[in-house]
This record gives sequence, structure tokens and C-alpha cells, in this order.
Amino acid sequence: MVSNMEQMTTILISLGYAFALVLAAPLVSGIIKVSKARLQNRRGPSLFQVYYDLFKLLQKDSVVSPTTSWIFTCAPYIYFAGAFGAAALLTSGDLFALLYLLVAGRFFLALASLDAGSSFGGMGGSRELYISVLVEPVLLVTLLTVAARAGSTKLAAMSAAAASTPFSLPYIFAAVAFLIILVAETGRIPVDNPDTHLELTMIHEAMVLEYSGRRLGLIFLAAASKQLVFILLFTVLFLPWQSGGLSPVMVFFWLVVKVVLTAVALAVLETSTNKMRLFKVPGFMGLAGMLALLALVAQ
Amino acid sequence: MIGSVQVIPAATLRAAATVVCHGGLYRLTAMFANDERMINGSFAIYVLFFSKEDAAFKTIKAIIKQDDLLEFPSLTPLMAAAAWYEREIHDLFGLTPVGHPDLRPLVLHENWSQGRYPLRKDFEPDSVESGENIDYPVPPVQGKGVFEVPVGPIHAGIIEPGHFRFSQAGENIINLEAKLFFAHRGIEKAVEGLSFSKALFQTERICGACSVANTLSYVQAVESLTNTEVPLRAEYLRVLAAELERLYNHVGDIGNLCAGLGFAAGISNGSRLKEQLMRLNERLTGNRFLRGWITLGGVTMDITQELVQDIARLLAGITDELNDLLGLLRDNDAFLDRVNTTGILPQQAALDLGVVGVAARASGVDFDIRRDFPYAAYRSLSFHVPVYTNGDVAARLWVRADEAAESIKIIDQLLEELPNGKLTGELGSVEPYQAAFSMTESPRGSNLHWLMAGENNTIYRYFVRSASYPNWPALTVAVPGNIIPDFPLINKSFELCYACLDR
Repeated sequence: MVSNMEQMTTILISLGYAFALVLAAPLVSGIIKVSKARLQNRRGPSLFQVYYDLFKLLQKDSVVSPTTSWIFTCAPYIYFAGAFGAAALLTSGDLFALLYLLVAGRFFLALASLDAGSSFGGMGGSRELYISVLVEPVLLVTLLTVAARAGSTKLAAMSAAAASTPFSLPYIFAAVAFLIILVAETGRIPVDNPDTHLELTMIHEAMVLEYSGRRLGLIFLAAASKQLVFILLFTVLFLPWQSGGLSPVMVFFWLVVKVVLTAVALAVLETSTNKMRLFKVPGFMGLAGMLALLALVAQ
Repeated sequence: MIGSVQVIPAATLRAAATVVCHGGLYRLTAMFANDERMINGSFAIYVLFFSKEDAAFKTIKAIIKQDDLLEFPSLTPLMAAAAWYEREIHDLFGLTPVGHPDLRPLVLHENWSQGRYPLRKDFEPDSVESGENIDYPVPPVQGKGVFEVPVGPIHAGIIEPGHFRFSQAGENIINLEAKLFFAHRGIEKAVEGLSFSKALFQTERICGACSVANTLSYVQAVESLTNTEVPLRAEYLRVLAAELERLYNHVGDIGNLCAGLGFAAGISNGSRLKEQLMRLNERLTGNRFLRGWITLGGVTMDITQELVQDIARLLAGITDELNDLLGLLRDNDAFLDRVNTTGILPQQAALDLGVVGVAARASGVDFDIRRDFPYAAYRSLSFHVPVYTNGDVAARLWVRADEAAESIKIIDQLLEELPNGKLTGELGSVEPYQAAFSMTESPRGSNLHWLMAGENNTIYRYFVRSASYPNWPALTVAVPGNIIPDFPLINKSFELCYACLDR
């Protein structure tokens, strides 16, 4: 009975975290957008523009092509559920469960991209899977570096282990590898370009071109949430200063600072270079893979 | 500018063209038809050839009697450059090029009512109705894993309509078909019967980014017809307009190219510099596209000494900033990796298709009308014509960069030497049915306007061959062999104009 109560509490707390994360995710997207605009000499949108856009989209009707099946209509919900679930698992879940949830969401979105039979969707889906085949193994190896130290794939144990030995050599290697993964997973330059209108060059955006209205809004929200999940994994596992008897308020404060700094760093990274040729991506991921392997060996 | 005209019966066109082109000295520059049934009871096909070495034009005028079969032997099997011209003649005049390998409609699309030829004199524009859709077959590419990707005619950005059909295996492009002319306006028809001065307004609006080049070609053709003397100061101010147009185009295009590969710093700097130049245009003429400056016989507005200094000061700043921007690109491996060896247009293809302008000079074709057939004040200005040989996206970028720098030097030079004098000369009159043409170098390449006068200083026939016209087919040569995500980049490096086709 008691353990049931405890489980209930854990679940409720996890859900609370997930809600908070989903609510905060568009703000992080906004910070990246504004930072990029400033770096490009533009005034840029309001920090809260992403919220306004989501609010607008979620009220709108969705146009669905008559040639699509249930996969097209359900995929945004599955994608969002995956991101939400991953967010809920961040504090008390298992690493593999978190990754599988995200991968399941991506799988359905890629299926949906083929569903409408439009050419851009198919191109987007095939490129997304091509990139993910390269990203996912590297991501696993990178995170296993931390898991090996912790002796567990529980995220709580991993963050505790990371906090106890910050900035050791393997972690630095793994951190650089993870940063590359972060760029690829969030669809940013030099792997993808989130701001382009050129369909032929798109990866993630091409996949969701057929979507509109509230389903599109849901996909945007899920993508922003997934981005925040990755940024949080990065800050908690690879920028761990927050241990050492700080009060929960201060822990939260430093977490926010680190997330904002990571977001700004992403914007700088994205402005400082151009998109690479699609077939150069394996080399880039290979670099991350080598670093991740080195990290694991050094561990 | 008239050159030698050789009049022949249409049946001997191919033989005559072979003679002119023998040895490769003369190359096809333009080809168009004229309905001269009111004058002499026949249709005429005009074929213009230009030789850089001789700095001369040769024109063949092939006559088709109105009672004969309305056909002529196609030149396309001899020279690929003739393909579009002949399809256009077929669409607009109903004259059939016999032996043409591809007579699908070009200008008029599938729903045009058959048997109506808009550029014939007896065509009534008010009575046009849509016809039944006819077939427009796109050549299929077959094989395992080959997909067709249709793109357009409506695009995501604010650009004009054009349909592209890629045949791809994986990401590799095997074939590209471009279908254009979606917004044809019939300007050539609309100006028939108008006075020269009224038609000027239509000419100036054929295209935004080449307003000056189009206007200049037109007024020079009229001035040549009417033997008008243009004052020297006006000749210099015309060059100022033409070079300011080239400058804002090239600077904007360098920035735009960066959008093809997502290089944000390049995009924003390019648009900032372009904006400065367009505001200068507005100060000079009240119009960001420099419209209303060039007129028949000269120019409408003078520039003050104060403006001369302001221009020089602004251009000095632009020079520095442009060098900074180019430095960002030249020393940037990530950038060079995208542009080097991408979208190569071989020199032979450029020659065969009669490619002009930046695209030609990036593929080793050393040809610039300003130097090789000088007009306005270019005769007395010294400048360098940059030529690159790689034919890739990078080469077209560096040609633009060098030309922009050269334009600034030309402007400095002409402001220094600016002679005093009147702004306009008196327009002479012209005998009916005389013809003349003029060519200028627009930011995109040589731009040819041909004109035949009617009664009372009006236009009988007007033909416009913009720089984009011969360059569009080159795009479909440069693209196959590249991957699909590189297409926007290659397309931007050519920077072709849709409106210039849809005149």
C-alpha cells in the first residue's frame, strides 16, 4: 500500500515535470530564434513568438489529404506522446526507455511523411531516417560513457555519477560528441536548416510539410519539447556543477542558466557556419562516433 | 545597329545558316518571326548571328510566302541554341520548323485554344477563350528506384512561377525538365501600334531587376532607327544607371547565394548592402529600380555635384564591406566545400546553347557586350572583364564578386570624367518598316531588343531577347549529376529571371 502510494507520487511528480518541460520548451526555441536574429543583425521576433504561433495553430482546423490513412492523422499525437513521455522519464526513468520513446515518435512521423504521397514528404522521411541511422548509435555510445561510470542506465543514477566527477577527460570527449548529436537531433545547421523555405534542401521540415493547423502545432510543440529534453540531458550529464548541497531553488536557478547558455551556444554555432552537403553528414557523425568511442574506452 | 541582312527564301534557311556559322566564328544570338503580310505578303524569320572576333552581326531574313506552306527547315539539328526560338515562333506565329526534335508548346500552355497565333497581325486579343487541355508529355526516365519529383509552379518563397520535374535515383538527379512561361504578358504584342514614347513605359516594366538594361536596349534601338544623337553627358549617366543596376543585382545575388546553403551571416550582410544601394537608387531617381531615368534621346534627370560626392562616398563604404563579406566566404572551408565543383556548366555546352553573361564568363566564355560591342559611354571607359573557367557555382560567384568591384571602378571613373552638356537629343523621324536592334549587357548578360517601325513613329514589331532566355536551358544541363538538395544553390548561382521570359 505504501509502495503503491510512493509509486503514485513518483508518477505524479514525473507528470508534473513533463508538463513544466512542455510549457517551457517553446521559450527555449524562442531564445534560440532571438539569439540568431541578433547575431544576424536582425531585430528578430518576440521571445514568446513561438507561443503565439502555437496558440494560433492549435486553434486552426487541419487540412488532411484524402489519400492519407490513419497513420497520417495519428502520427502527430504519437510523436507528441513520445516527447512528453521522454520528458516524464527525465527525472526517474531509464535511459533506454527515454530513447525508445523518442525513436518511436520519429518512426511514426517518418511513416506519416510517406502517407500523403507527396514528393517532398518522401524525401524528408528518407533523409530523416538516413540521419537517424547515423545519430542513434553514436548517441547510445555517448550516453553509455556516463552510464558505465554510474553502473546503471537509470537517469537519476547517471546524473549523480556525472555530478560527482565533473569534467573528467571521458566526459569532455562525450560532451563534444553529444553536442554534435544535439545539433543533428534538433535539425540545426550544419546538418539541417530549420529556417529555410527551400523544400528541396529540407530534412525535418520536409517531413511535416503536409501538416497544418492543430496537428502542425502539436508537431512543433513536440519538436520543441524533444529539443529541451536533449538540452537538459546535455546540461545535466555534461555540465554538472549543481551538486554540493545547494538549495533546490539554487539548483533550479543554475539549471535555467545552463539551459539558456546552451540555447545561445546553439544559435552561435548555427550562425557561424553553413549547411554541409548532405553526404558529408556521415563524416561529421563519424567524428562524433570516434569521440564517443574514445570516451567509452577512456572510461 | 543593323548589320548586314541577307534575304533568302525560307526553304534554303538551313544551307544559309550553315554558311554563316561555318568555322564557328558566327554564333546564333537570336531568332524570331515577323508577320509582314501587310507589307509584302509574307512572313519573315529573322536569324541573328554575332561574331566577337569581327565585332559584327549578320542577319538572315528567311521569307515564307503567305500562300505557301507555313513552314521552314529547323535549325535546331544544326545548333542547339535555336531550339527555344523555334518553339516560340511555332507557338506565336504558327510557322512550323520542320525537323525540330521537340515541338511541345513553350510559351502558350496546354489550355490555349489551338490554331490561334497571338503575334499574327490578324489576331484579336479580346476573343481569346481557353481551349481543351492538350497533352504536355514530360520525357520519363525509367529504371529501378527512379522517382519523379515535381516542384512548382507555385513555390514557398516569394518568387515567380516555374515548374521543375526532377528524375532522381536516391538523391542524385538524372534529368531535369523545366517548364516556364507561366505568366506570359504579351508585352511584345501590346506595344504594337503604340508610339515609341508610350511603349517605353511597358519596356521599363518587363522586369524589375533588369529595368535599366531593358530600357537602354529599347531606347538605343529607337535612337538607331531615328538617327538620334544622344548628348555625351546622357551617355555617361546611362552607364551610371546600368552599373548601379549591375552592382545592386550582383551584391544582392551574392547574399542570396548564401541562402541556398543556409549561411546566415552572408544572407543578412548581402541584403543590407543591397538595401543601401537601392536607397541610393531611390535618391537618384525616386525609384528603387532606377525607373524613369533613361528616356528616348537621353536621360530625364541630372545629378548634382553633391550627389556625385555622396555616390563616391557610399561606394567606398560598399567596397570595404563587400570585401569583408567575400572574405567570410573565400576563407571558409565549409562554404567552399558546398560551392566548388557544384553545378558545373561545361564550356562547350555554354557555347552550344549561346549562354551569356555571368554564366558564360564563369565557364570560360570571354564575352561581354560592353567591351566587345560597346554602346553608350563604354567606348571611352576602361575596365576589366573577369573570366573563370571552372563553370561551377563558385566560379559564377567569383565572377559576380569581381564584376561588382569592377562596376564600382567604372562608376568612379565616369563620375570623374563626367562631361557637361545637354541631357536629351531631339528624336528624328523614321521611314515606316525600317528595322534596327540594340544589345546591352544587363546584370544577367547580353540583352537584345529588335524593333521595326510602323507608320507615324509607331511600333510595328518588337522582339525582346533577355539574358535569361538563352541561359535557362543551360540550367537543365548543369544540374544533372548533382544531388537534389544542391539544386536551389545551383539555381541561385545562375540567378535567372522568369519575368524576362514572360515579356
